[in-house]
Amino acid sequence: MAFKRNPQVFSASVAETTIGTGDSAVTLGGENVYPFYSFDAPIKNPPLVGVEFSDKGPRRDVPGIAAFYEGAETLSDVAKRACEMPGASFVCLDLESADPNGDDMPVEDAVKIAMEVAGAVTLPLVIQGTGNAEKDGTLLGKIAEALQGKNVLLLSATEDNYKGIAVGAVLAYNQKIGAESAVDINLAKQLNVVISQMGVSNGNLVMNVGQAAAGYGFEYVASAMERIKSAALSQNDDSLQTPIITPVSAEAWSVKEAIVSEADFPEWGPVEQRGVDMEISTAAASLASGSNAVILRHPDSVKTISDMISALM
Amino acid sequence: MDKFIVIGERIHCISPEIRDAMANRDPEPILRRGKAQLDAGADYLDVNIGPAEKDGEELMIWAVKTLQENLDNVPLVLDTANKKAIAAGISVYNRSKGKPVVNSADAGERISYIDVAAENDAISIALCSKHGVPKDNDERMAYCQEMLEYAMERGMDPADLWFDPLTLVIKGMQEKQKEFFEFIRQLSDMGLNSTAGISNASNGMPKEVRPIVDSAMITMAIECGLTSAIANPNDRQLMEAIKTAAIIMNQTLYADSYLDI
Amino acid sequence: MALKGLDIFKLTPRTNCKECGNPTCMAFAMKVAQGTVQIEQCPHMSADALATLSEAAAPPMHTVKIGAGEQEYSLGGETVLFRHDKTFVSKSLYAVSVKPDDADNTLEDMLKIDYERISERMIVELVNVVYEGDETAFTEAVRKAADTGRTLVLEVSDPAAARAALEIAKDGKPVLNGANESNYEEMAKIATEYDVALGVSAADLDALYDLVQAIEKTGNKNLLIDVGAASIKDAFANTVQIRRAALADNDRSFGYPTIVNVEKLAPGDANMQIALASLFTLKYGSIIILNELSYAQALPLFGLRQNIFTDPQKPMTVEKGNYPLNGADENAPCALTVDFALTYFIISGEIERSGVPINLLIPDAGGYSVLTAWAAGKLSAGSISRFIKEDGIEEKIKSRTLMIPGKVAVLKGELEENLPGWKIVVAPNEAISLVKFLKEGDYNAQPAA
Repeated sequence: MAFKRNPQVFSASVAETTIGTGDSAVTLGGENVYPFYSFDAPIKNPPLVGVEFSDKGPRRDVPGIAAFYEGAETLSDVAKRACEMPGASFVCLDLESADPNGDDMPVEDAVKIAMEVAGAVTLPLVIQGTGNAEKDGTLLGKIAEALQGKNVLLLSATEDNYKGIAVGAVLAYNQKIGAESAVDINLAKQLNVVISQMGVSNGNLVMNVGQAAAGYGFEYVASAMERIKSAALSQNDDSLQTPIITPVSAEAWSVKEAIVSEADFPEWGPVEQRGVDMEISTAAASLASGSNAVILRHPDSVKTISDMISALM
Repeated sequence: MDKFIVIGERIHCISPEIRDAMANRDPEPILRRGKAQLDAGADYLDVNIGPAEKDGEELMIWAVKTLQENLDNVPLVLDTANKKAIAAGISVYNRSKGKPVVNSADAGERISYIDVAAENDAISIALCSKHGVPKDNDERMAYCQEMLEYAMERGMDPADLWFDPLTLVIKGMQEKQKEFFEFIRQLSDMGLNSTAGISNASNGMPKEVRPIVDSAMITMAIECGLTSAIANPNDRQLMEAIKTAAIIMNQTLYADSYLDI
Repeated sequence: MALKGLDIFKLTPRTNCKECGNPTCMAFAMKVAQGTVQIEQCPHMSADALATLSEAAAPPMHTVKIGAGEQEYSLGGETVLFRHDKTFVSKSLYAVSVKPDDADNTLEDMLKIDYERISERMIVELVNVVYEGDETAFTEAVRKAADTGRTLVLEVSDPAAARAALEIAKDGKPVLNGANESNYEEMAKIATEYDVALGVSAADLDALYDLVQAIEKTGNKNLLIDVGAASIKDAFANTVQIRRAALADNDRSFGYPTIVNVEKLAPGDANMQIALASLFTLKYGSIIILNELSYAQALPLFGLRQNIFTDPQKPMTVEKGNYPLNGADENAPCALTVDFALTYFIISGEIERSGVPINLLIPDAGGYSVLTAWAAGKLSAGSISRFIKEDGIEEKIKSRTLMIPGKVAVLKGELEENLPGWKIVVAPNEAISLVKFLKEGDYNAQPAA
């Protein structure tokens, strides 16, 4: 008896969200099969890899990152260079300096930085706020206004500030926003529902459903994403048919394995490769669980993960 | 688990407004009711054109086209005693949102409605009765099996028969109600799909009581494994009961605003 | 998975002959499904139908045991495709590949990886020894690999070489990975003779399917399926479809664990191998073979595996005790949190980031987060003081400063009563504020009772 294939193609599909403009614009989502199940049906848009850098510049204490950005002095240089990283489909500016618990850069200055970067990039731009609900509520709206026509993705709207961001960024200036929930699928769904009730359609939204580095509670992330994709596709739950974006680098590069020095842990070997492996492993696992895009930092990770995606398409 | 399917029952020739609209081929009242039901959460719309002995085929074609062309190819349940009208309706039916449903076959004279479904790759509602009300669940099950075998002989997938156990009015047949749920559970245990005209149960009750009774009936039936119901989606309480049951049964993911979606 | 009445009905003759005592075949099928009647009561069931039924009663996926003694492992036996549906039961095992010309170096590096993470010993469980045509060199490499005590995978399709290797390694119950369409009869015989699991490979999924069935006909059902190395895309497609056929479609011929060789899928590309090993850890790779495994690679991969194979019903916990951080000695102040692994990792990570030497105390708190443990009575002034007194903390540690989570500040007074001589300090509510709190020495500033 021959093997009977039983493709699992769903009549429902994930919504498509496009960021950027012109030839470099990219689209997240659109698939009607589970992650990388291209043997069931063609995957409409392959998952994407983005390159993250901070407004304070790239992490030059990591030799491979320093080498890649060598000679890129200004933030525009850095942004331009990031766009040239092999495997990158978009770039992500982290407005680290604006964090009220850190440098607390004023909103106007942060907007100027965003404009500078937006003027330099040749790939679609994602802007990561501070994670502080109040500051982001103002900051992301102002950036949306300043970057009209650029179709940027602003991360992230949360339970506490989604109203202002949805109105200020999407409805007023046609930008895209991310809805962020911390590994809580009910909250993820609720946020999508209330944001869509404000008139934001699925195509203007992505969600960040939480992230964790490999080994650090990643099972919660994996199951959250798998349950979301399963509800979106098999139950046609349109409030969960939103593409998922996962910022991997921030988590991967802050766990012990990626930080402690070789001097303290000689058997572990050079710290840079540990960070790269943590970033690669976490990104591959995120994509296997359902991420439509991952945000990474190191050129080696970006290359490997984008090669893996291509190989699976 | 698959989503519970709500079949909106309000396009029915028993309503004078709909009857006139059908007679005059006036799309407006039909589309208005169709849209209202879809907005309220209906998945399928039942289109009952009555016996329609004379112009049934032409009328059904008109009704199917009118509804599907204006309401994004809404999937339909074609409901009439005129078999040819059903076949005619299917001939112009767009399947992109779901197969057409034939309403309905039974184990008696109307068993040939299964042929209409089998010949047209459609779903058929299958009433578990032959003539009148079956006396017990053994009789219901015998009819169920007759129709199942009949359909399988004709190449139908068993999932395309939606068995209707026959909802009995509570006023006067209280002692029969528990059987109804037991039978739904039997169908579910067999892996079969089911449907029921839930509002029959509250027939004759005061207006303010009916939504409460219907909601309780549907919640209990969903727990027993009922997979669809013919109901009034504009009964808000009923729809809220269905949505809540889907949450409790883990068929949809909970969110605080689940009643709004 | 039990068959539903309808599935059984489809297997009956559907003649309604009533010889079983039931009015119809459907009624009979229903009773069989409910377990009130045995299928044998029908005199007209075909042999095929009976075989299908008895197979349906068996678990959907075989559990295959490999290795011996402490290095014995179970593979397969899974019942769900997603861990949230129940749990995954058999963790993926990792292997490094040993070629005859470089056995010593590879084995030496492999043995360096040996550490503990949340009560689990992390080692490279398997060594894949590759036959490259020279039987003597191969058996020599097998001998060296066997000497490590790790369980072996013998990648060899030459029956004579396979026998020679098994003679050396048979006691460790290695995997014999080498059955293909041309040698399977002989290989199946050898695997049966040595009572080891047999790895099966073929050109594509259809050929694999036929080959598994052919081998099953020889009576050998102790198999692993090598998903092949034609391409990354094919290997992934095969791995998923094999598992899905077994668990979703009840197709027993594919109800076996898999072998995925990521070294062959990405030769010479260590980064890609770690990406693929992570992918296949989530998606159904039972044995994953890499070229080598450095610490840098092992740390995320083993951590990821530990996460994914955690039972969703049972939270991961760390063992109770004292975890000295940043070189803390007996004089370093103490901080206390719960034994829920995620909380432990977050808190220990923040403490490590602060660089301040701290004795991190973990009592048995039922595996809950701080507030839940407190609400459930698993983290009370009584349980904390018992832990400090009865588990030897007070004896071993000279410091008498104890920081407690801000969320259970309410315990401060009672703890001070229970633990005379201790200064109880309320730490911040959120882990994120911990670095600042420790660095600035805020814990010294809080007044003693």
